Amino acid sequence: MQSISTVREDRLMKRVFLSPAVVILFALSVFPLIWSLGISFTDMQRGGSTIARQAEAEGITEGVGFLGMGFELTGRNYQRLIGDTRLHSTVRNTMIYVFFGVTIQYVVGLGLATVLNQPFHGRNLVRVIFLMPMMITPVAAAYTGRMFFDSNALRSPLAHFLRQLSKTLQLEQTILVPWFTDINWAPIAILLIDAWQWIPFMTLILLAGMQSIPEDIYEAARVDGANILQIFWRITLPILFPISMTVILIRGLEIFKIIDVIVVTTGGGPGSATESLTLYIFEQALSNGNYGYASAIAYILLILVIIFASVFLAVGRRWSSSWER
Amino acid sequence: MPKPRRKRLLPRSSRRPLWQSAILYLIVIVWCFIVLFPFYWLVTTSVKRPIDVSRGPNYIPYVDFDPIPDHWQEMFGSQRESTLRHFRNSLIAAAGSTLLSVIIGAMAGYGLSRFRYYWGRLGWDNDNIAFWIISQRFLPPAIFIVPFVLLYNQFGLIDTYAGLILAYTMFNIPFAVWIMRDFFNGLPIDLEESARVDGATRWQAFYRIVLPLSAPGLVVVAIFSFIFAWNEYLFALMLSNFNAITMPVLIAGQNNTRGIEWWFISALTLTAVAPVIIIGLLLERFITRGLTAGAIKG
Repeated sequence: MQSISTVREDRLMKRVFLSPAVVILFALSVFPLIWSLGISFTDMQRGGSTIARQAEAEGITEGVGFLGMGFELTGRNYQRLIGDTRLHSTVRNTMIYVFFGVTIQYVVGLGLATVLNQPFHGRNLVRVIFLMPMMITPVAAAYTGRMFFDSNALRSPLAHFLRQLSKTLQLEQTILVPWFTDINWAPIAILLIDAWQWIPFMTLILLAGMQSIPEDIYEAARVDGANILQIFWRITLPILFPISMTVILIRGLEIFKIIDVIVVTTGGGPGSATESLTLYIFEQALSNGNYGYASAIAYILLILVIIFASVFLAVGRRWSSSWER
Repeated sequence: MPKPRRKRLLPRSSRRPLWQSAILYLIVIVWCFIVLFPFYWLVTTSVKRPIDVSRGPNYIPYVDFDPIPDHWQEMFGSQRESTLRHFRNSLIAAAGSTLLSVIIGAMAGYGLSRFRYYWGRLGWDNDNIAFWIISQRFLPPAIFIVPFVLLYNQFGLIDTYAGLILAYTMFNIPFAVWIMRDFFNGLPIDLEESARVDGATRWQAFYRIVLPLSAPGLVVVAIFSFIFAWNEYLFALMLSNFNAITMPVLIAGQNNTRGIEWWFISALTLTAVAPVIIIGLLLERFITRGLTAGAIKG
């Protein structure tokens, strides 16, 4: 039984509790989202649009452009997407980062989780150590990676190691990997830096999932004579399936945002071999000041992200239902 | 949320053959080496003379090279002003947005957990609203670049603490709401109700009873918000140009302004990662909990 005054109070408090979050999200997320869709259909540039600048040069002050707002509505940004080869390569790079990044991180993370799920001394210490890479800013990870993947054997421990290795194996040529200067190796170096940072994330979450599997299930399987591999394929993996889908989705969506590692290591080069969509959008918007075009590319990125997430969820749902049968 | 006791696949006196143990420890040690070596390399590089960096690689202090404190002295000596200023900027941006995210996230999480909402026009109930909020977390930030620059220019927020704090709060709110809602759902409602019977208002019940009980959840949210804001690069770069530049932007910019002085960059990088590493070491339990709550229940 509530008195009328508390009901009225509750009706007010209900709003008070939720409003700040909703207001901020509407002002800084929903509104910018819609606004940038609008901008993507204009010729807006830093410091006005082409038409406004022209008008200014000619001394016209009023009634310029679409409804006098100083810019013109246009579909040109979207036409331009089709012929922009640099955009195509950044889309390809981003897909490569997402696909291979997620695959490497999941497979290695799952392997490590399986190992760590065994009892051994110092497991808590290892867990703390595992947290370290994912705590630090990607900028720091990238700089460290840059020192490490330097191809100068006088500076980089990795290059030094490879040189020693080739000497020991008496190879005719020293193994020298041009990590950041070769168009094929540079994306791999970036993938490895990202993997170094985020494999522990995969591992810790999958480990938590494994530890929530009741012991009886394993016991029953063992009684039925299943070996370790069968147990892993038939029991552990299917039970981990929902968690796996979630972490892969989270990591995939995060890798779509990649920019800092690239800026610090290769700056997008050589050429645009390592440039990601986010970096390209940043360059178009802030270096070139092409607000309209940058917004159009950003919408392409958004569409890719949505396609990725929905395909992933749909496939996941189908797989998990086929598993249950 | 009481933590379930960890189950062991094998009893401590394991029936594991020796070779399996050997492989297990080998893998663990190799991976710990992979994780720790870059940190070791940062630490040693920060005390190397430039010649020891370029004519190396030198691994072990006092054996391969003689460590010098020069770069640290430079950073907290002649560069002191710049180092401290950027460190303070990071601290203000991160702490400010953490505070806001925790407050706003706890409020919204409580609301979504205790009241029934219905947004008639959209036909959304609590679950829809919660899902909409968490989905904001996964929007690519690149889509906000242009509108944020325009908006921030309009309101004079470029290069201000308020601007950074606001942006980071927006990015942190979805996670904060999600975690807190989950936390409040697991919190028995009886205590609040008996307080209400005793004449406490809704707000008093929330503030005096619910919040203290939810300290662990608040800590998780605070840690994650802080780390996100502390480490963020893209928006810090985009929304600041001098006064509000944070540590990640400062470090990334070393490339251009000073040439590549690895020793100095290493010292600076260590300074930038020290706070979050310390948080990680001290509050490991909360972080693991936040990670698993975010992923497993989400």
